Amino acid sequence: MAIERFRIDDRLVHGQVVVGWGQPLSLGFIVLVDDVVADNDWERELYRMGTPPEMELFVETVESAAARMAEFELRPDAGMLLTGDIATMDRLTAAVPAIRTITIGGIHHRQGRSACLSYVFLSESEIAELTVIAARGVSIVAQDLPVSNEVPLDDLLRGRTG
Amino acid sequence: MITPWLPFRTRVAMLARLMTLQGSYNYETMIGNGVAFAMEPALRLLPGGRGGDAYREAMARQSRYFNAHPYFAAVAVGALARAELSLEAPERIERFRTASCGPLGSVGDRLVWAAWLPLCSLFALSAYGFGAPALAVVSLFLVSYNAGHFALRIWALNVGWRDGLGVASALAAPIFRTGPATLTRVAAFAAGVALPMVIANAVGVRFTGVAVIALVGGLGATVLLLLNGRLAGWRSAIWLLAASTVAAMVIR
Repeated sequence: MAIERFRIDDRLVHGQVVVGWGQPLSLGFIVLVDDVVADNDWERELYRMGTPPEMELFVETVESAAARMAEFELRPDAGMLLTGDIATMDRLTAAVPAIRTITIGGIHHRQGRSACLSYVFLSESEIAELTVIAARGVSIVAQDLPVSNEVPLDDLLRGRTG
Repeated sequence: MITPWLPFRTRVAMLARLMTLQGSYNYETMIGNGVAFAMEPALRLLPGGRGGDAYREAMARQSRYFNAHPYFAAVAVGALARAELSLEAPERIERFRTASCGPLGSVGDRLVWAAWLPLCSLFALSAYGFGAPALAVVSLFLVSYNAGHFALRIWALNVGWRDGLGVASALAAPIFRTGPATLTRVAAFAAGVALPMVIANAVGVRFTGVAVIALVGGLGATVLLLLNGRLAGWRSAIWLLAASTVAAMVIR
């Protein structure tokens, strides 16, 4: 088994991840990649409490996640890697060329962002970051839950409003 | 750091407003507006009172995007109200607000949507299978589900207020760690009992007795154990139920 999904989701570990994806994929571990969370005791503890006891949680910086990627890929169970924003995934895909597909699972409303899907809101700078990632040959899709359709990046940007 | 005090009346007002949380849902701020609305009675206690600068800044901060399980959001409401009244740094409050969304959603989804709700539904279905009248079935579901629901909201608000931004340790309670898996097993058992009886009732076949159900259930469980994870229990159960239903209708 290996890391089954590389997901961008500003909620990081939450219900859609541990229940929506965790059960059908039988996830055994989650790799949370966020420099701020990795450096903060109470945030790490909070996310650990949100992770079911049957799943292992690794909280990593971009650098440490890239360094441990081979180790994660060799695990016998299935895993999911999460970043809270596009910029972090951009750095990770630059450091780990083996990542070929990423999924946008949830980027929610904030000032300066406009709606692409009900669960994806993007700013101009974030679209530029996604374009950079795609130019590396990485496939980008949006999909919040396994029962939803995958929306390719081009379709996602075509659906943008405002 | 100020140690704040929350009058009982304010706490009750916050609890009552928490019941409206799901009504605030929208795709932009999710339940952010509802969180601010629930917290508002406490924010009136800020220096300057209702309409003061501190109140307005806190309301603006708390109305932004927030997404967690609606019952467990009460933990955040209590914790954030305490942080606001303790005059914590806004950056720290916002960081907690952002970080608490996921874990409070995860714990709530596992405990309530994936375990407690199905369990209460299946208990009510079991009652129907045993021949309880419709009003009793509906009452059983509403009372059992809401006993857990209200208890959870009250606990969540109180623990959030008690522990403030250090509330993560409260989520380490066994009920939140191992509780969902235990409840799910009980729900699976209840489903095994309830569904055949409900179908038997629906198609008009008389109940053949607990011994038959126990025998069939025991055989099914043994087969699943022997297959050692190669066959999902719920899939095989659904197929078996469908086949039994068709057979029962043909025999009838």
